[in-house]
Amino acid sequence: MAKLIGDLRPVYVVGVGWHKYQYPTDTPYVAMGLKAVRDALADGGLEWSAVESSYIAHMRLGGAIGRAMLRHLGALGKPLVHVENASASGSTAFRHACIEVASGISDVALALGIDKVPEGGGARPARGGGLRGLADDAIVPFTSFALLTNRYAAQFGLRPEDIALVAVKNSANGALNPNAQRQQARTLEEVLGGRPISGTLTPLQCTPVGEGAAAAIVASEEGIKRLGLDMGRAVRVLSSTAGTETAEDPLNRDTVLSREVMQRSMREAGVTSKDLDVLEVHDAFTIEELLYAEATGICPEGQFIPMLKEGAFDIGGQCAISPSGGLLSCGHPIGPTGVGQIGEIVTQIRGEAGARQHKGARTGLAHMVGVGAVCYVHVLQK
Amino acid sequence: MEEEKKASPTPRPLFQEAGTGALPDHPALFGGRCENCGFMFFPMQKYGCESCGSVKLTECVLTGRGKILTLAKVHEHKGPGREAPFTVAAVQLDDGPMVRALLDAATADETKYGDTVVTKLIPETRPNRGPYDLRFTRQAS
Repeated sequence: MAKLIGDLRPVYVVGVGWHKYQYPTDTPYVAMGLKAVRDALADGGLEWSAVESSYIAHMRLGGAIGRAMLRHLGALGKPLVHVENASASGSTAFRHACIEVASGISDVALALGIDKVPEGGGARPARGGGLRGLADDAIVPFTSFALLTNRYAAQFGLRPEDIALVAVKNSANGALNPNAQRQQARTLEEVLGGRPISGTLTPLQCTPVGEGAAAAIVASEEGIKRLGLDMGRAVRVLSSTAGTETAEDPLNRDTVLSREVMQRSMREAGVTSKDLDVLEVHDAFTIEELLYAEATGICPEGQFIPMLKEGAFDIGGQCAISPSGGLLSCGHPIGPTGVGQIGEIVTQIRGEAGARQHKGARTGLAHMVGVGAVCYVHVLQK
Repeated sequence: MEEEKKASPTPRPLFQEAGTGALPDHPALFGGRCENCGFMFFPMQKYGCESCGSVKLTECVLTGRGKILTLAKVHEHKGPGREAPFTVAAVQLDDGPMVRALLDAATADETKYGDTVVTKLIPETRPNRGPYDLRFTRQAS
């Protein structure tokens, strides 16, 4: 019978590190990747020689980029895999690093997400596979989410402008995160005052896509003991769950898929939405945060905005949603994004998040979708 | 030796000028039906059914009428061939599939959720796409 990750050896995150997410610069990706890995090694108290296998997530940098970074950490000589899975690339790399450790093949594995914006934008996700629609050249991602924003607002009697409050909350969190691309708290007037893009979406309701790196090192209990690492700072990966789209609700496949994978991930972890203290979701557009948060079951459908207005999803509220600032403030450099979410949840659960600490954080859920076609969810707990 | 330039295949048309028996005056869309599970889809393709994987797929001429599920005015657009502002909508066709399309500029501002919309042709302005483009427009009551 097929096994879940929870049926195998326990896996713990022992080290996390970042290179700040930022607007495009001349910084080489090698420098950004090395910064994130070295910070993760230092955070976990490991030497590079202890890492037995590496998973490198990226989408836009070309083939086999890992060697160019990792060789500067000393002799490599160990397995190295490159992972591309659109926006969920980082989450996918993290899942496979976890699977490698859980299976017993390695005691210590690295997931590193890295990306830059190449000239011309680089590779983009394939959407139609060559099939044309009536308006493919008119409906870019922000317009897809403008359509969902307006549908949700009409369905639940909200003003689309209410949905912009998600960006206000996340900007306040991002202002406290030194790794975020946007580090400025914004008012609703500022969010809505930007130039109109599509529907009621303005620039501050859309994630900035830039560059950066994030690293997470996972280890088995045996590895932690053998290397003398601090078990008190290790955070357990309770579940790692993935899925792909179905033909249901073609207008909003992301949410249908997310609901199924989130619910399965929580079941596998043995938790319910009531247990979630911290939530990091794929909030590339404001509407996404509330659709995915509702998909966890943390609040009834249509109730996200009233609860947001009451502060339920602030740091210190019922559940801190996007305490890192989310994609809306951290940015979405693609390869690093899913790994960075894990880093934020680990930092929160350890109680090391400083000014953006959600008090008593014990259980967290990280969620990413990739072009609406793949979904990855991880539940972590102290 | 100079390599012979391959002609790109002509894309399968998405619609026709003629309507269906149910709605003869409005252009019909070329969709498909899975003979195995009955799943209706747009556009027509022969790769395999998105619902059950069967390759027994038959072209269906879909009536150019449906209801607005949602719509949004696009204020900024960088892609070639389309100039903002324009309005896009998700339309649930009477025959089953959901399509995303542009709304007729003349009626877009007065179109609301749940409105019935029908297809109409307008002159195509983009190169290599034939004489007509398709819009949905609010059905006169």
